[in-house]
Amino acid sequence: MSPVTGEQGKAYWRSLERLLDSPSVSGGLAEEFAPGAAEPPDGMTRRTMMGLMGASLALAGLSSCRRPVEEMVPFANPPETMLPGIPRQYATTMPLGTSAYGLLVVSHEGRPVKIEGNPLHPSSRGAAGSWMQAAVLDLYDPDRSRGVLRRSGGKRSSSSWAAFLSFWTQRAAAAERTGGAGLALLSEAYSSPTMDRLSAAFKKRFPRAQWVVHEPAGDASLFEGLRRATGTPLRPVAHLDQARTILSLDADFLMAESDSLACARGFAAGRRVGSVRDRMNRLYVIESAFSLTGAAADHRLALPSRQIGSVAAALALHLRALGLPVDLPGDLARPPVPAALGERLAVMARDLAASRGAALVMAGRRQPPAVHALVAALNQALDGWGRTVSFHRLLDAAWAKAGAIDDLVAAMHAGTISTLIMVGGNPVHTVPGHLRFAQALGKVEQSVHLSPRLDETSHLVGWHLPRSHFLEAWGDARAAEGTISLVQPLIRPLFQSRSDIELLALLVRDADIHGLQTVRETWLASVLGNTNFEGRWNRALHDGRLADSAPGAVKPRLRPQAIREAFEEAARPADGTGLEIVFQVSHAVHDGRYANNGWLQELPDPITKITWDNAALLGPETAADLGVKTGEVLSLTLGGSRLEAPACVVPGQAEGSVALALGYGRTAVGRVGNGVGTDAYRLRPGGSLWATGLRAERTGRTHPLSLTQEHGRMERRDLIREATLAAYRSGDGPAPANEKKGVPLPLWRQRTYKTGYQWGMAIDLNACIGCNACMTACQAENNVPIVGAEQVRRGREMHWLRIDRYFSGAPEDPSIRFQPVPCMQCENAPCEEVCPVGATVHDQEGLNAQVYNRCIGTRYCSNNCAYKVRHFNFFNYTKDLPDLMRLAMNPDVTIRSRGVMEKCTYCVQRIHQGKRDAKGEGRAVRDGEIRPACQQTCPTGAIVFGNLNDPESQVVRLKSQNRNYTLLDELDTRPRTSYLARLHNPNPRWPGRKGA
Amino acid sequence: MSKRMATLILGGCLAGLLGGCTSEKPPLQFIPNMDNQPKFLPQAASTFFASGGVMQAPPEGTIARGDLREDEEFFTGRSFWSGYVRANPMGNGQQVIARGRERFGIYCTPCHGVRADGQGMLFTRAKIKTANLLEERVREQPDGKIFEVITSGLGMMPAYNYPIPPRDRWAIVAYLRTLQAQASPASGP
Repeated sequence: MSPVTGEQGKAYWRSLERLLDSPSVSGGLAEEFAPGAAEPPDGMTRRTMMGLMGASLALAGLSSCRRPVEEMVPFANPPETMLPGIPRQYATTMPLGTSAYGLLVVSHEGRPVKIEGNPLHPSSRGAAGSWMQAAVLDLYDPDRSRGVLRRSGGKRSSSSWAAFLSFWTQRAAAAERTGGAGLALLSEAYSSPTMDRLSAAFKKRFPRAQWVVHEPAGDASLFEGLRRATGTPLRPVAHLDQARTILSLDADFLMAESDSLACARGFAAGRRVGSVRDRMNRLYVIESAFSLTGAAADHRLALPSRQIGSVAAALALHLRALGLPVDLPGDLARPPVPAALGERLAVMARDLAASRGAALVMAGRRQPPAVHALVAALNQALDGWGRTVSFHRLLDAAWAKAGAIDDLVAAMHAGTISTLIMVGGNPVHTVPGHLRFAQALGKVEQSVHLSPRLDETSHLVGWHLPRSHFLEAWGDARAAEGTISLVQPLIRPLFQSRSDIELLALLVRDADIHGLQTVRETWLASVLGNTNFEGRWNRALHDGRLADSAPGAVKPRLRPQAIREAFEEAARPADGTGLEIVFQVSHAVHDGRYANNGWLQELPDPITKITWDNAALLGPETAADLGVKTGEVLSLTLGGSRLEAPACVVPGQAEGSVALALGYGRTAVGRVGNGVGTDAYRLRPGGSLWATGLRAERTGRTHPLSLTQEHGRMERRDLIREATLAAYRSGDGPAPANEKKGVPLPLWRQRTYKTGYQWGMAIDLNACIGCNACMTACQAENNVPIVGAEQVRRGREMHWLRIDRYFSGAPEDPSIRFQPVPCMQCENAPCEEVCPVGATVHDQEGLNAQVYNRCIGTRYCSNNCAYKVRHFNFFNYTKDLPDLMRLAMNPDVTIRSRGVMEKCTYCVQRIHQGKRDAKGEGRAVRDGEIRPACQQTCPTGAIVFGNLNDPESQVVRLKSQNRNYTLLDELDTRPRTSYLARLHNPNPRWPGRKGA
Repeated sequence: MSKRMATLILGGCLAGLLGGCTSEKPPLQFIPNMDNQPKFLPQAASTFFASGGVMQAPPEGTIARGDLREDEEFFTGRSFWSGYVRANPMGNGQQVIARGRERFGIYCTPCHGVRADGQGMLFTRAKIKTANLLEERVREQPDGKIFEVITSGLGMMPAYNYPIPPRDRWAIVAYLRTLQAQASPASGP
């Protein structure tokens, strides 16, 4: 048997329902197009639809059968280097909490259209995640607020920045006399030299004012943990490429934690296998909710978040018993470790100790500070300091301090706060419900809120000020390890908005000062200094980061007393009975800030494949105890708060623990996000991201979840292939990756593709972590429409690139495998053989092209496609696109109309651009010069595209590995897209698992 | 001749007359075929921006990738410390002069004339006066000053920064110097 074919006896299943072959699903989507697929949305019947259409058709017949008149509006004063039709790139930075991600933004004639990672910036290194990719849609959101609003006496009226300035000048003069008593400023976490300078100036002007930072899901727990352990708040930066054995304690460092892009890159680097001689790292994950990191693990243990602290403590004792210098006194009681862990913890500890110097333990932001302090000590004992993890001072940063928001809200309730200024954030939504922030806000005499849209908070404040998007504002930020970069605007503010920096400068200096001036002042004073300021400023702006601005790692000293206390605190079993609830940062809407972004809302959750919703995730046993199935509504009670959320049974979710994503259930965010999902903040008791004492009950009602996991079936075919590293190494020679079943009998004369460029793609399943970045990049690049929750339920999502998720193993201890599926660009394409109008044809470079104008919408091609990668426009999804959102559309890609089939093109517009550029310079296209959007944004480099006729190209080198296989090879479709089998690296001593 | 025949002939004549008519309206379009897509091509009109067009000049102070103009003198013709550039940074080699001759022929001759004496088409046909570049005044100007005038225009002359890239502007300056050298100072009109 080939080392990389599917392991014998290993079954893969798409979902629990499929595994049990329950009739509810197998009856439903067995056909290519679900019954009623031709029905219009919202339950309208064909008859009512035709009735409505009749009227609009009649009108259309009269008015618009003439071609619309188009006008050309050239520049009166053309900028020197901007040529119409030639896109340009600008470097900028996306600040997110205390982190910052360096980006390159593609601008078409002065408007940002596509976001990519900046290869020079340390936090992105050319990659961009879904949140970054989708930021451009937030910029052109038609629901953004357009002007200053003043509310007085219950009435809201439009106002201006000049009016706010005169209001503030009077208010500030009064406040200055009292030193700012009664004045409070609430901001989000930041890490920016200019913000820090303005904050200092604000505190100097108003010494008695309060400055409170509130971040619903920030990294404060990490910083606080290291402050306890070392005396100063520090930021740990993991160097996963240096680690051979990694243990994650509730840390989803591949997705939800800060700086996940850099972590994903390092993790993939430690697993890249080119030949049987290469080594791979080994990842252990102990977590409550199934995460991407858990899916990537070689060994995963599901454990409620409340028990993970005691695991860390037990691990410390194990390591000390193995002779590692864990600085703990000898008289400590053994922490209560769950029986399920048993011997496994000892095996894990031995493995970590064996790779001393290349071992790494990481804890997630969900864990309390004590666990982070203990983990720092463990890493020191494992000799990881300076090798697998380094510590960096938090420069120019502010983050949420424990209890600070509680004190502020208490002061507001007590009436001692007369002026509250909120710079960003949405505290009415995100402050834990029991604090009753909204009522407290009513007791504040004057409240000001800077916000991109009229959200829950804006509706209750005296002054609503529109906030600029980072793509239209000047600013600066520090990345995790300290590198400074500038936030460069791509376009002037679309509305009457100001950035955080501009508002703070106004508050400090009583003047409306342009952000550029403020940022330059900071850089002149403290970042660059006087010598050659202009030259260095321009270089930093152009490159997207200031070279050598990171101050380097610090070498802290651990305080033994603090580590002992941390051990005792972590080892203490969490009090409280009942279920545990874990609050997740949503893969889509983060803490709620991206809730009005259609691209993100329609992006399936990597694990559950839920779109347009959040759900209470339960393990199968917990669900059986409660008697609920996926889609049934649960009533969740915690303390005095009650919430209803649909249940979703996820194999691998820790039993006794319920996970619920934050940021949904918005009531005032916009047309896209209003009323989507359930507001988990209402249940959240405090700053912690988990709580115990949850009561869950059935309500007997159901809620339809829009899941994409059931769309398409695998019919027990060999779609995912994997092997253990040991088996791969012992496999002799490059065995044929595919075993042909039967002799292919081609219907047509076979074409050979020997000359010119022949495009192909290889996807390394060993590097893919399933993070969805490629899906968002594809959506942004190719103008893929959003269809909405109801259409997704009918199986009509339009994503050209999807990521299939498969479970394997027993339902009690499952593993997850991901597989990105773009168009296979088959050489013997089944779709082409059935198209009656020649709308899908092959070109001489091997692309399976779709000619939109020829397509008459028979859908035969989709029916005949073996991979289900073709998508049909059941409606004109872009017909009512607001003018503002049209600005976000890529002008180089056709926007498809109703009745047309569409699919992945390998980003044909980029191929042609690359060929044009090469032709202009009189040379051939270089390898790696043309990169489709999915490849370009992939943080782990899992997707490689190139010319198959170039024996030196990276794609040919990958495809010549013996891990290479194609999907459904027995059909003789000859796909141009192939996969490299996944390898995993289990510990042969792991109990309860057959050694490799 | 039947009545039917007459109707046909009459109808044919009327149709022929109609064919000769022109219409101000755009052509009929029965199948739109994705001709008009909700996206913005270069130079498209927009109802959103005040300028009426979708193209936007980049915000002041921003620098696109590849637009980092670290050599201030090369791109502006002057520097803060030393004033106008005296020596052409492109030099006056054969290739530079040849390039300059070509570009001068395209962009400068319509107004300033082939010999740079201000006797271009604009003067000969429309009697609009243009600067005689052979004058002493221009000869004495440093290269950087001439570069600056091409870049940003002067008086009636528009800015040529958009159509002529900086390298070509310097080549034009080099070619102009050879023209000035060829013409003796007295030969100017």
